[in-house]
Amino acid sequence: MFIHNFKYSFKTLFKNKMLIFWTFAFPIILGTFFNLAFSNIENSEKLDIINIAIIENEEFKNNEIYIKSFKELSDEKNENRLFSVQYTTEEAAKELLQNNKIIGYMILEEKPKVVVKESGINETIFKYVTEEITQTTDIINNIAKEEIKKEMSTGNYSIDYEKIYKSVLEIIQNQEVNIQNISNNNLSYTMIEFYTLIAMACLYGGILGMVTINQNLANMSNNGKRVSIAPTSKGIVILSSVLASYIAQLIGLTLLFIYTIFVLKVDYGTNLPLIILLGIVGSLAGLSMGIAIATLLKTNENVKTGIVISVTMLGCFLSGMMGITMKYIIDKNMPIINKINPASMITDGFYSLYYYDTLDRFYFNIASLLVFAFIMIVIAFLSLRRQKYDSI
Amino acid sequence: MDIQNNEESINDALFYRDVNYIIYIPENYRQNFLDGKNPKIEIKSTGDYQASLAEMMLERYIKVANIYQKNIKLENELISKINETLSKQTDIEITSKLDTNNLSKATFYYNFASYSILAGAVYLICLVISSFNEEKIKKRTIISNMNYRKHSKQLLLSNGVLSITLWLLYVILSFILIGKTMFTIHGIILMINSLVFSICALTIAFLIANLVNNKNAINGIVNVVALGSSFLCGAFVPIEWLPDSVLKVAHILPTYWYIQNNEIVKTLETINFETLKPIIINMGVIFVFSIIFVILTNIILKKKNDCNRGIRRIVRISKGTNMV
Repeated sequence: MFIHNFKYSFKTLFKNKMLIFWTFAFPIILGTFFNLAFSNIENSEKLDIINIAIIENEEFKNNEIYIKSFKELSDEKNENRLFSVQYTTEEAAKELLQNNKIIGYMILEEKPKVVVKESGINETIFKYVTEEITQTTDIINNIAKEEIKKEMSTGNYSIDYEKIYKSVLEIIQNQEVNIQNISNNNLSYTMIEFYTLIAMACLYGGILGMVTINQNLANMSNNGKRVSIAPTSKGIVILSSVLASYIAQLIGLTLLFIYTIFVLKVDYGTNLPLIILLGIVGSLAGLSMGIAIATLLKTNENVKTGIVISVTMLGCFLSGMMGITMKYIIDKNMPIINKINPASMITDGFYSLYYYDTLDRFYFNIASLLVFAFIMIVIAFLSLRRQKYDSI
Repeated sequence: MDIQNNEESINDALFYRDVNYIIYIPENYRQNFLDGKNPKIEIKSTGDYQASLAEMMLERYIKVANIYQKNIKLENELISKINETLSKQTDIEITSKLDTNNLSKATFYYNFASYSILAGAVYLICLVISSFNEEKIKKRTIISNMNYRKHSKQLLLSNGVLSITLWLLYVILSFILIGKTMFTIHGIILMINSLVFSICALTIAFLIANLVNNKNAINGIVNVVALGSSFLCGAFVPIEWLPDSVLKVAHILPTYWYIQNNEIVKTLETINFETLKPIIINMGVIFVFSIIFVILTNIILKKKNDCNRGIRRIVRISKGTNMV
């Protein structure tokens, strides 16, 4: 009986086109959209070469530090190249700025003046660099003065200005800043989108569980009426149908994993067994949620599907599907919401595998998911047993 | 930033870009620095614009401090000297007089609205029309006295009112959320643009509603159509961040032209015929899309209609026999 019912539940599930769309195709389609839209975001946040112009007036031509600095910063061989510089007249620079060929230009008078169209990160960097050059000039002057004073105080009046100037410049150029970057390499936050996608697929699996349960409920389908009066153990029938939908769900999830890993190149971290564990536990949570909704509510199948979809979407929204910062905002301000939200537990589980070296947070999420699934199953169990109908 | 001082909160904040740059100042840094040891500082960085800028600032400060530290031994004097140097700033002149901040907000809102308008219109109209297309109701409509043409005209009109109402709703919401920018010419162009797009959404909805008879399938189709065009055309993600290949494909979707218009409005400084021309052209493209959808719908309806005419003839004949 178990195998018989299992086989036919499985077949019915795969014959239901709507079901297959939502649980199999939709996550893959959405994932493709995510990939198309987000693939470029993080690259475009890195610094590009900034196009600027410099007005070539007398002041600039006589200022060696400025000439040298900009030459170095726009040198194509320089690894840290920042600018692409055009040296022109003021009129030409205005024209270039108007046509968005450059983001701004600099005029060197007593002080440097930067003209830009709007305020933005590139403009800030341009301003910042000119400031740095002014400040370096200031340092050179200060230290040179200091040195000259020293020389004078020792009674030496034949001062070699050239030499002092050079030595000061050397001090400045040889300054090394001792900074060490200890940040994690896995900082790609768009990955969260794909994690919420997996969470969504896991929870949509609830629809599968719901449909099979409906098949066995006398008030939901003719099939259910027949099952109810059949002289077989309800436990076995329900268990085998649920198992069938669980396996169908895991097949869908496997397809999604294969697609995201090999086609979309999503990075889930390196710990494969734990990734699979999270997928299995997450699906269980989704399945049990679907079963609980199916048994608790006494409405038709469409309304139940609608409820599973909206609960899932709300959960995914709170765990960052429509804007990655959402998850962070909730985590930071109202952590309790994401502690009871299964979508967030799954997302956070993947996130902790990807970003953290320790596994505490991961296991906490796995445990929460199991607890969630257990509660849902208990609810379903309590409302399923000893069901009687006065009329159907 | 206001973050709890434990490693997990710090790491989370960095990952979600709540902070971009974290500096760990080691113990005894001050003393070691004053002794000229150039102590090591550990940082965590997201590697993007803001982080690069923060790193530049940190480097500059340490550089200046290190240089002065060689000559100046007193801490107070050192700090004042560093501050004096760092206070030498560049004058900056901003030429654009646009209120870019508010305009970007408005553009973002209207870009996002493309999703809501399209999804809303397609969902509602499909539901309405599929109710009319239900077999029993359809048969009743066919045998009724009402002229077939009149019936479709009324259906079109009512759905038109529906989508205009939807549009009005979003416009009113934009006034509430964005405020005074909406009262400028830029705001008016955004509104007209979204109206043109709403009409296009109406025609798309009509096409889909007549293609699909299954009420259950509507949900899926709405999501794929609306989410797809929103993601591909830059409604959710700023258009300059999308890969070029995606944008090329997006040309075949009306949403692309709608969003292009919003982006033009954002940078519109002077308003005259010359600057408005690209906007009008884009609206024209959206309009052409609408016409194509209408033609497609008509072709489908005509095919269905031929079937219906058969049914009607049968009905008429059977009515005739009854009378006899």
